[in-house]
Amino acid sequence: MKKEDTVKLISAEGMEFVIDKEAAMVSQTIRNMLTSPGGFAEAEHGEVTFPEISAVILEKICQYFYWSLQYSRGKETEFHIEPELTLELMMAANYLHT
Amino acid sequence: MGAACSRKRDQLDNVDGFDRGVSGRYCKSGSSKWLATTLSRPILEIQREKKKCPSLLELCTHKIREDIDNYVSFSTLPRDLSQQIFNELVKSQRLTDVSLEAFRDCALQDLYLGDYPGVNENWMDVISSQGSSLLSLDLSGSDVSDPGLIYLKDCVNLQDLNLNYCDQISDRGLKHISGLSNLRSLTFRRNSAITAQGMAALSGLVNLMKLDLEKCPGIHGGLIHIKGLTKLESLSIKWCNCITDADMKPLSGLTNLKSLQISCSKVTDFGITYLKGLQNLSVLNLEGCPVTASCFDTLSVLVSLLYLNLSRCNLSDDGCEKLSSKFHIYPFLVCRVKKVLRWPLTYGYFLLTELGNLKVLNLGFNDISDACLIHLKGLQNLKCLELSDTEVGSNGLRYLSGLCKLESINLSFTVVSDGGLRELSGLTSLKSLNLDARQITDAGLAALTSLTGLTHLDLFGARITDSGTSHLRNLKNLRSLEICGGGLTDAGVKNIKDLSSLSLLNLSQNCNLTDKTLEMISGLTGLISLNVSNSRVTSAGLRHLKPLKNLRSLTLEACKVTANDIRRLQSAGLPNLVNFRPE
Repeated sequence: MKKEDTVKLISAEGMEFVIDKEAAMVSQTIRNMLTSPGGFAEAEHGEVTFPEISAVILEKICQYFYWSLQYSRGKETEFHIEPELTLELMMAANYLHT
Repeated sequence: MGAACSRKRDQLDNVDGFDRGVSGRYCKSGSSKWLATTLSRPILEIQREKKKCPSLLELCTHKIREDIDNYVSFSTLPRDLSQQIFNELVKSQRLTDVSLEAFRDCALQDLYLGDYPGVNENWMDVISSQGSSLLSLDLSGSDVSDPGLIYLKDCVNLQDLNLNYCDQISDRGLKHISGLSNLRSLTFRRNSAITAQGMAALSGLVNLMKLDLEKCPGIHGGLIHIKGLTKLESLSIKWCNCITDADMKPLSGLTNLKSLQISCSKVTDFGITYLKGLQNLSVLNLEGCPVTASCFDTLSVLVSLLYLNLSRCNLSDDGCEKLSSKFHIYPFLVCRVKKVLRWPLTYGYFLLTELGNLKVLNLGFNDISDACLIHLKGLQNLKCLELSDTEVGSNGLRYLSGLCKLESINLSFTVVSDGGLRELSGLTSLKSLNLDARQITDAGLAALTSLTGLTHLDLFGARITDSGTSHLRNLKNLRSLEICGGGLTDAGVKNIKDLSSLSLLNLSQNCNLTDKTLEMISGLTGLISLNVSNSRVTSAGLRHLKPLKNLRSLTLEACKVTANDIRRLQSAGLPNLVNFRPE
């Protein structure tokens, strides 16, 4: 995986998730950060920090990104969500426009 | 993570609520004619949405819906998220008085609970806990009663309140909402307990723009209390058969009114005179009111009118006894009137020509004839004209031939015959034409071949035979077609089989049609509704319908077809078929 094809998402605790840029772009918010011409620091370094999203939620979100890519390619499986994560995940999804 | 501020209040305009997930208790069952238009859209949407990946937000909402009983409170969520969960629960009918508790103090803005099962007094506490955040509340069809409305006192910012069909609410309940001065829209349809006295509570609602009191039979005398609500733009008191001329007087100063519905009341020409000052009125519905052509005195000054419904009134050709006294008011009329001397009794209709902006005019079910139509000549903006069940005949149609913006004409049950249809041949904007009249025959259809924009053609009772259908071959945009006069055989269907835009086809009452007809129309895969009742169609012919995957309604009454035959067809490949006869 070439570095320019990946992004690093960093949770509130500092946990780092390196994922495909294509997957991260499922989120409209991240897409804007990485592509807007204003030269966000995020776009330059390929790193986005989410001080309000915990690692467990961010991991789930990364799973969703990949699930979503598969779904749009025709693999329509079910996406499992643990009940105890739902509310927090929902808030994060709202923030990420996902 | 701040809550997004954007409010999704798209349901707001949809007060009539036909688009809801919840099945409305008060939905009218539509005629087959409307079935096509109401059913066609959801199908397209289903197909389009299939490919779309659900967002994580949607997945979370669905997950919460499934486990709703495990949630105690959503009050820690940003408002737009708890709103989204609430809407989802209502849509899927998972909300109960127990799960409602989780929404206490959520600062929700919109609670659309119209026709929702089980809504009663006990729900009001949580509803009122939204406090000053609540902007829109729909409790229509609920069992909420007068004391329940006390709770709304805290919801001081409420803008829209829907209490349609709440038959437990009376004057006393109205009193509790009298302080909600931010209300913009209030609707109270079909409430027999509200009286003139109770309506005093409305006098303080100074910001009200829309008031709907349809089917409230006890409000006679009460409109005096809305006299000061000068922001009012829309008022409906239709089907209030208690409403008389006296009730019109308080409306005379409501100059912001744009829409006024007083159909099926007792208002006469005299009552209409009170409306003279309503210069912004664009919609006026007088259907079924005992008004005559004399009311045109008043109507002709309402120059903003776009929509005028005078169906089922007391209009006749003879309507202007009073006009002689008018000559001094409209001196310019005298000279112009000479030109119409052949119709000395129709001066009243002449006044109609002043309404040059009119787009929709309904004169149906009146005792009027050709003489009136000459005065429609100047209504150059007319798009829709209803003349059904009148004495209008072929001679009158020539006055319509210049109305080139006309998109819809209804001439059903008139005395128009084949010879008159020539006059319509230049109206190339026409999309909808109703010629459901016995004296229309094949010869008349020849005049319609130029109307290639037609999407709806109703020849229900016309005597059309096989040779007549050849004139329909070029009407490729037809989406609905009805030919039920009895004269059609399989040979005629040959001319219909290539009208590939058809979604509704009614060929019932043509008793010589056979299975061959079903075979021929098997290529009309856009069909949503098909009726071939009273024909020689048999169960053996049903197999030809298998390609009609979009079919939702199939009617084969009085044929050699049983309900079980159709059910077999349904399970063999017509999953969309929801409505069939025999059943």
